[in-house]
Amino acid sequence: MMTLMNAPRDARLRIVEIEGGHGVRRRLMSLGLHKNDVVEMDSKSIFGGPILIRNLRTDTSVALGRGIARNIMVEIVDQK
Amino acid sequence: MIFIGQPNSGKSTLFNYIAGFRAETSSFPGTTVKHSHSKVNVAGQVINIIDLPGTYSLNPSDEAEKVALTHLFQERPDLIINVVDASILGRSLEMTQELLELEYPMVVALNMMDLAGKKGIHIDPEALQERLGVPVIPTIASQGRGIKELLDAALQVLKTMQVPRLLSWSKDVEDKIHEVERAIPEDFQIVANRRFTAVKVLEIEKQFFHRMLQEINPAFKQAVDRVRSELEGRHNAPAYEVISAERHHLAMKLFEECCTVKRGASLSWERRLDDILMHPFWGYVILLAVFLSFFLVIFAVASPIEEALLGPLYDLRASLAPSLGTGLLFYLVDGLLQGVGGGIAIVLPYFLPLLFLMSLLEDISYLARAGFLMDAFMHLIGLHGKSVSPFILGFGCNVPAVVSTRILESRRDRIITSLLIPFIPCSARTMIILALVAFYLGPFWALGFYLLNLIIVALLGRLLALFYKQPSPGLILEIPALRAPSLSNILRRTFFQLRSFVQFAWPILIAGSVVLAVMQYLHFDRFVNWLLAPVVDGILGLPGDLGVTLIFGFLRKELSLIMMLQALGVSYQDLMTVISREQLLVFVVFMNFFVPCLSTVAILWKEIGRREALLSMALNTSVALIIASLVRMVLRI
Repeated sequence: MMTLMNAPRDARLRIVEIEGGHGVRRRLMSLGLHKNDVVEMDSKSIFGGPILIRNLRTDTSVALGRGIARNIMVEIVDQK
Repeated sequence: MIFIGQPNSGKSTLFNYIAGFRAETSSFPGTTVKHSHSKVNVAGQVINIIDLPGTYSLNPSDEAEKVALTHLFQERPDLIINVVDASILGRSLEMTQELLELEYPMVVALNMMDLAGKKGIHIDPEALQERLGVPVIPTIASQGRGIKELLDAALQVLKTMQVPRLLSWSKDVEDKIHEVERAIPEDFQIVANRRFTAVKVLEIEKQFFHRMLQEINPAFKQAVDRVRSELEGRHNAPAYEVISAERHHLAMKLFEECCTVKRGASLSWERRLDDILMHPFWGYVILLAVFLSFFLVIFAVASPIEEALLGPLYDLRASLAPSLGTGLLFYLVDGLLQGVGGGIAIVLPYFLPLLFLMSLLEDISYLARAGFLMDAFMHLIGLHGKSVSPFILGFGCNVPAVVSTRILESRRDRIITSLLIPFIPCSARTMIILALVAFYLGPFWALGFYLLNLIIVALLGRLLALFYKQPSPGLILEIPALRAPSLSNILRRTFFQLRSFVQFAWPILIAGSVVLAVMQYLHFDRFVNWLLAPVVDGILGLPGDLGVTLIFGFLRKELSLIMMLQALGVSYQDLMTVISREQLLVFVVFMNFFVPCLSTVAILWKEIGRREALLSMALNTSVALIIASLVRMVLRI
């Protein structure tokens, strides 16, 4: 298990836990990110910028600031 | 009839297609959140249609969402049209379920069917209709397809008042909801229906709500708390998460039952393009290129048009002058004419192309990507990527830029962004920079001026972040799929944005212009100049005659240049004979950073609050004074 921040780019990842305040968690859920969803990291921007993840179940892309990505725990499902 | 859907679902496109340009926008009572509404004639029946701001769920997180939902609950609509993006049906169905729970009559518009097809998603609308118990109509709003069928279905539902089927969740969750439902006291205000009320009472985690419930009915609160803690204990997660997970599972189940997915190869080029657009290096190269060409286009278009427009205006003034004499009437007409003309000379050449290009970038979903790329830089000034688009809009006009900060979820981010926007040189100030700095000192000075401006904005952002300590919640931004631009869509968006400028900012501009003219007539300007002399002459080292221009410039900043020439009594060509290059620069610097205009202050007051509007004025005044005197000192050395 690791945070989304430390996850590799070329792997399918399962969301194990979403931590953080209520507001943030609710926002993530309404944008279609839930526990047990399988996501992949599409891009990681430079200078400590956000990361881009795609939910493989719903095919939606969401950009997340690093502070938020650090609160999302994932595990590797399989490497590509 | 209410249109509701998640952002980027094409809801407004669909709405506009039906409502046309006659659609009016107005604010919700007591707020500045706008919605569009219109009356349409469907098969001989006149129907009121309303477009609510896009919202991801019925648990609002930003200002616009809150207002939209209040409206939904208070003004029980006759019919909901839920617009969903068929290409991401799995997620969209989560909100559709929430809407179904309201048990209002409803029709689902399965929009963007073409995009879904491209993605290889085949949806069976009948199967979905069967399961949801409401009509599901496939549409492609950008091409106007499926709209007739949608309206027919809507009329049918209005006639029969058919109520959706309730989808049920896991038994243990349903049991808990029933428990709460039974406990709801007689005098409790029911929202939509008992079950929906019970779900909401369980879901909500806001402190004020719990306190309120404690006050109205402690026994009911106790019952709810007990059920909630049982639910949370069993699932080991907060109640709202349990319920959200139920909706999520059901949405995925519906999606799997009604859709077959073949991974289409046709989408891979879009993904490859996205990889480049969001690339850690090429992404920024493209971003820079996009915005440079953006400004080049605007200036290439603007200057000639502006000249063509201002020429006839001056001729008109000159031809009117003899017949009006030199009395009050002359000053009034002159002020009015300049206010109207100033609006036209700014709006048409500078603001309109900017709005058009912004709409284009938004239509193809590039703005969200710009937000993603700029996030890291925005963090340096204590904000995040979502503030990027208000800032860009600020280069056109600060007023809509302040309005657009509504997309920010946290009040702190809204305040900081709104306080910084007045430092972004809008088209009126850009005109002055071009006319004075670029013309007299050379284009590189103007470029340097812009750079200095951006650095100052960044420094101020850092400074403000020190005072507004609450940490920003960070970026959560959906990146919608890239789309081909639709001209009619872009034109509509531009039109509606422009209309709100014309309705709000322009009247204030004209009024300011008239007030200034009257002041001139009463020779009040001499008194002001005398009063301001210590600052204007002493601190800034400028001719005392410029006092009125500097301070009251905010009544009509776009005309500051003309006011300056009038005050000094010279023509544009001879300007440099009366003031030095240093004075010119100091003048422009002060103009640029000083309170932008009355309309901006008014909109800040309305949107963010009185305290912040006053703070903004104080901030602009002190920054303008400090930077201008610094520039003066540096240039002297």
